[in-house]
Amino acid sequence: MTTSVKWIWPAVLVGMCLLPLGVGIYPQHVLIVSLFYVMMAASWNLLAGYTGQVSFGHAAMAGIGAYTSGILAAKAGLNPWIGIAAGTLFAALLGLGLGALCLKMGGIYLSLTTLAFSQILHIIIVNEYEVTRGTMGLQVPGLIPEYSKLAYYYILLAATVLVLFILYRMIHSNLGLNFRAVQNDETAARAVGVRVLHLRVLAFTAASAMAGFAGGLYGHYLLLVTPEIPSLDLQFYVLAMTVIGGMGSFVGPILGAFAINILAEKIRDYGEYHVLVFGLVALATARFAPEGLIGVWRSLRRRPAR
Amino acid sequence: MLAISVMNGLVIGVIYALAALGVSLVVGIMNVINFAHGELYILAGYFSFLFASTLGMPFAPAMGLAVALVFLFGLLIERLLIRPTYGNDMYSLILTFILSIVLQNAFLLIFGPYPNKPPLWVRGASEIFGLFSYGNQRLAALVSGAALIALVFLVLQKTWFGRIIRATSQDRAMAEWNGVNTTRLNMLSFGLGCALAAAAGVILSPVFPVTPTAGVPIALTAFVVVVLGGMGSMWGCVVGGLLLGLVENLGAAFISSGYKNVFGFLILILVLLVRPSGLFGRAKL
Amino acid sequence: MLLEGRKISKRFGGVQALSEVDFHVEEGSITGLIGPNGAGKTTLFSIVAGALKPTSGRTFFEGREITGLPADQICRRGIARTFQIVRPFASMSCLENVLVAAVNRHPERPRAALEAAARDLLGQVGLADFADQEARHLNVIQKKRLELARALATEPRLLLLDEVLGGLNTQEIQEAVEDIRALRDRRGITILWIEHVMGAIMQAADRVIVLDQGRVLTAAPPREVVSDPRVIQAYLGE
Ligand SMILES: Nc1ncnc2c1ncn2[C@@H]1O[C@H](COP(=O)(O)OP(=O)(O)OP(=O)(O)O)[C@@H](O)[C@H]1O
Ligand SMILES: [Mg+2]
Repeated sequence: MTTSVKWIWPAVLVGMCLLPLGVGIYPQHVLIVSLFYVMMAASWNLLAGYTGQVSFGHAAMAGIGAYTSGILAAKAGLNPWIGIAAGTLFAALLGLGLGALCLKMGGIYLSLTTLAFSQILHIIIVNEYEVTRGTMGLQVPGLIPEYSKLAYYYILLAATVLVLFILYRMIHSNLGLNFRAVQNDETAARAVGVRVLHLRVLAFTAASAMAGFAGGLYGHYLLLVTPEIPSLDLQFYVLAMTVIGGMGSFVGPILGAFAINILAEKIRDYGEYHVLVFGLVALATARFAPEGLIGVWRSLRRRPAR
Repeated sequence: MLAISVMNGLVIGVIYALAALGVSLVVGIMNVINFAHGELYILAGYFSFLFASTLGMPFAPAMGLAVALVFLFGLLIERLLIRPTYGNDMYSLILTFILSIVLQNAFLLIFGPYPNKPPLWVRGASEIFGLFSYGNQRLAALVSGAALIALVFLVLQKTWFGRIIRATSQDRAMAEWNGVNTTRLNMLSFGLGCALAAAAGVILSPVFPVTPTAGVPIALTAFVVVVLGGMGSMWGCVVGGLLLGLVENLGAAFISSGYKNVFGFLILILVLLVRPSGLFGRAKL
Repeated sequence: MLLEGRKISKRFGGVQALSEVDFHVEEGSITGLIGPNGAGKTTLFSIVAGALKPTSGRTFFEGREITGLPADQICRRGIARTFQIVRPFASMSCLENVLVAAVNRHPERPRAALEAAARDLLGQVGLADFADQEARHLNVIQKKRLELARALATEPRLLLLDEVLGGLNTQEIQEAVEDIRALRDRRGITILWIEHVMGAIMQAADRVIVLDQGRVLTAAPPREVVSDPRVIQAYLGE
């Protein structure tokens, strides 16, 4: 690692700490939401980008976290922090189960099963309105006694740093070496002893836990947990951020999540076009630049324009 | 009550079978799942609404035109999105998923969130065996859906084109050696798969109006049917489609209507646990 | 007997690639596996290594059945392979290619120790200078060497080599034969070796198995094999 690279992360962190100071409530809100998306996109990237598992149930896992924690807090009066831990655990268990269920089958089955899972969850939430308040949404208590955007920002920033740190350590350990080997050539990876199935289930469990964690925090920030969290729209958002930023790179999804969430807010001023716009951009990216903006930037740097 | 549920189950079951046949055709030939299948179903519904209700065309040509347009759109999708990523399952999954969201949002902007309904072909209701009365439009949907399925089978079993399709889904490499132009075949079968979704859409939309996201449960059920029946198995689609239609409607009538769509998924998960290759399938993928 | 196959058959759709193949490999031997193109040699390797499941038949390694085990488990049992059509991890450096194998053999060892061992292995196959280059930039011969280093990093007891001499000149072939012998003599690795360069096999192998159209034609010392009329017929009949 060169010195300049070494200084980047601390510098970014300091920058992120200073960012919300002196801006209004609304920009602070946008930043908080962006942090939620960073956690979602970075953990989805662990699945799709590093282990080739295109899960459509990642938003559903965030929903599991949000509803578990929300219901425990709203109905049983449990401390939200304990609720978030419970939601994280529950999402991890579900991830373990789903991952194991899809193990023997190819990639298409995994996508189908996770899509079905997210649909089932949606139906359950809407039907069990006595517990979940259905589409109205469940009011949940906040994480801190006095509501303050700035405090929430720092909580989510800390959570994001934690999630990213864990992901970074995973990717830069033996595990990450194995991920890359599988990504390059699954057959060859197996032939040198990589436990491909273990890796996939492990990644699925870890990513689900992270989504559950992010979802739990997000719910307690919004103070209202609705079926919007475990929705296909949110899933799409996470996917588009990762694809546009650069699937399979560590930084790509982080930048993608920030850039797209902030841009989406800008576009929203002109009407509800943002999903369509990002859909088209994501479509073009996946088609013409499958390694995302990071990939484009890298190849430009590798071969400077003549 | 039971009889009506059974009839409803058959109507929707035929539609599931039709939609699933489209998915299965594409999976069999290209090993690709089109996540925008349901949106193409909806698109055909909107087209037939547009031509028949807004432009005042008679319903039959309106439907034909709708299916033809979706077929062309399918060819375009194959050419622009699927072919360049052919062989990379992951990207075709991602691309068609994004496409489905794009289409949903385009529908929302163009047609709004409210249900749209093409005109009925027939009005009134008939007494069935003198036992209960049932809407004529639903009967017509049942009959035309069944007829269309029969037509698909006829084409697959009896024609030269059908033989190529079957041979290619059995053994792609062999078909290539025998001079099948698999690139053109891919495009054609993808288009036909989309056209089958469209056919299901135009048949069912007078009964169940279309909304931007109404395609999601239909497509999901079609996927479930395809997995249930065994990837690429045509008979599996028909049996699976009818079975799922019946289970859903009987389940809705006697267990819980809110959980209608869950029954299919639960069956899917059970089947995957005990028989990952589906009820009729050979192991593939 | 280190490796044994009993009545192994494999069908691909309409192609019967192997029919009821019985064979064995003695511990400490260099065993050649030869036969005309399409005889089923690579298919047999893939079945032994767990990359393919046989349609029927069983495989045994060190007296224990390994039929149908996943490839990674078979690797941990001590069987490593190279691929006829090379499959390096293209976007990883040569060092990382070897490291992948090493960390899965010894997950408990610190990375630095594994890295040193991996560099050492790269040196032994003549790729010391390429350690930090991405594998995609190597030429085919270098890629084959990289695969050899990767296979050795799994510390196999049995090494399956699939046409490692392709593209080498006479001088280089001679050196490669010496290297492969050294693997057996110095490290005690048993070798099963598919090769079309007949001279090399005749020189190095203790025993040669001949496959033709998915069947074992004969298995004998090289001298006997070259004079066997059935073998000559099989090659001329190509
Ligand atoms: N994955 C596969 N699918 C279908 N057929 C296959 C497959 N792999 C091999 N075959 C067929 O099986 C037969 C044996 O192939 P194999 O590669 O084992 O031969 P080989 O002896 O290694 O030949 P070569 O000397 O050319 O490498 C051939 O007819 C081949 O076409
Ligand atoms: Mg071969």
